[in-house]
Amino acid sequence: MERILATMPDIFMATGMTLALTIVSIVVGMLLGLVLALGRISKNPVLKGLTWTYIWVFRGTPMLMQIFFLFFVMPKILPALTTNAFNTACIALGLNSAAYLAEIIRAAIQSIDKGQLEASKALGMNTSLAMRRIIIPQSIRRMLPPVGNEFIMLLKDTSLVSAIGLTELLKIAKQMTSSTGDAIFYLPIAVIYLILTTIFTFVFDKLEKKYSIYE
Amino acid sequence: MIVLENIHKAFGSLQVLKGIDLQVVKGEVVCVIGPSGSGKSTLLRCINHLERITTGKIMIDGEIMDERRDNRDLLKISGHKVLSLCAEVGMVFQRFNLFPHMTALENVMEAPVQVRKVPKNQAAAEARELLVNVGLGDKIDQFPSRLSGGQQQRVAIARALAMKPKVMLFDEPTSALDPELVGEVLEVMKGLAQNHMTMIVVTHEMGFARDVANRVIFMDEGRIIEESSPEAIFSNPKHERTKAFLSRVL
Ligand SMILES: Nc1ncnc2c1ncn2[C@@H]1O[C@H](COP(=O)(O)OP(=O)(O)OP(=O)(O)O)[C@@H](O)[C@H]1O
Ligand SMILES: [Mg+2]
Repeated sequence: MERILATMPDIFMATGMTLALTIVSIVVGMLLGLVLALGRISKNPVLKGLTWTYIWVFRGTPMLMQIFFLFFVMPKILPALTTNAFNTACIALGLNSAAYLAEIIRAAIQSIDKGQLEASKALGMNTSLAMRRIIIPQSIRRMLPPVGNEFIMLLKDTSLVSAIGLTELLKIAKQMTSSTGDAIFYLPIAVIYLILTTIFTFVFDKLEKKYSIYE
Repeated sequence: MIVLENIHKAFGSLQVLKGIDLQVVKGEVVCVIGPSGSGKSTLLRCINHLERITTGKIMIDGEIMDERRDNRDLLKISGHKVLSLCAEVGMVFQRFNLFPHMTALENVMEAPVQVRKVPKNQAAAEARELLVNVGLGDKIDQFPSRLSGGQQQRVAIARALAMKPKVMLFDEPTSALDPELVGEVLEVMKGLAQNHMTMIVVTHEMGFARDVANRVIFMDEGRIIEESSPEAIFSNPKHERTKAFLSRVL
């Protein structure tokens, strides 16, 4: 117990790292995912093809490999773009979740009745205005549950970046286990993961309720 | 106000409109009747660019909206121009298509504020007045899901009017309503007609056509078969197909 208490500051830092990784990555993922989703929906065959390929690649290869690729291979190909482990991790996680989020966003946008776009056009709105004011706000309600899922997945997937040396929750458990020879440290770390996922599940439930007022 | 010349519309190999000529003058109310699948909705949707015509010419208030032959533009019209002409044409849909995430007031204000850049408080004041005019002064802050079909359709009419359109198109505005709610919507439309709004109304409400229309058009299989005053068409239809249709619906 004392041993665990003594490690509290480290665990605290690691929790912060996991949260920072999750939140930066989901923001990157959402922004890129929205762009990809609009590309998938667009009538332009080049955009459609490009976004389809992107999603195909990122969903079709293991995330850990994508992280390694960005961290070890990219600096060789494009040394100018080399950055620190944290940025690399956020980019890798963001690029990967963007592929999943794009499909979520696309499905949500396409689930909105076509009449909404027609009514917008009939009122003289152009497509981008109609998207921004009418279609996307309505899709947010529909995408919240699956985005919540993706967020939880991403939170857990941040553990993969322990492989490139970032001291997040899983890494700290590993470190403590090897320095003390006692695997008991995995237990409090698992509890922290559970607490985090529970909090965020709750937050997404609340958001969903908030966006349901008009239904 | 609206001039349609030789309008053709095909979906793939399916010819839906086969040469429609129609002129609607300012302040005129034209009712369009005809069997299901005759192309009535498609005609309205072509007028405000929800569908592109295959061939023909559309003019709105003296300005060319579209001029095409075999799916190619004869006249290049900028997207901006098309949108501004679309805004001159109000449309009311069978299924209302209100914005569910906005209150009645926000629905009505949305396009004036976002498209016409009317200041918010002015748009709100105008929207309020429009909602009062359609009898919904007490529903201003309700979301559409809290309104009956008839109330929703009246909000939709107010929303279209908020853009101060020169023409209003109605596509079976009462077909999705319970019978007891039809009257309140028709009353609002009657009021518009009395205020000299130019209107094209696709409807199955023959009573409305008889009372309000200046002219009734009977369409079948993508063509205008017969057009005349409501008295003439209802009491003395000339064409066999008109007779057959009217005997089924009257
Ligand atoms: N987007 C579309 N793609 C393919 N075919 C279409 C499309 N829209 C309409 N049609 C076809 O065009 C024909 C005319 O349809 P339209 O909706 O204009 O008829 P309508 O006279 O309004 O009928 P109703 O009284 O049932 O509303 C129908 O055969 C319909 O299936
Ligand atoms: Mg129709």
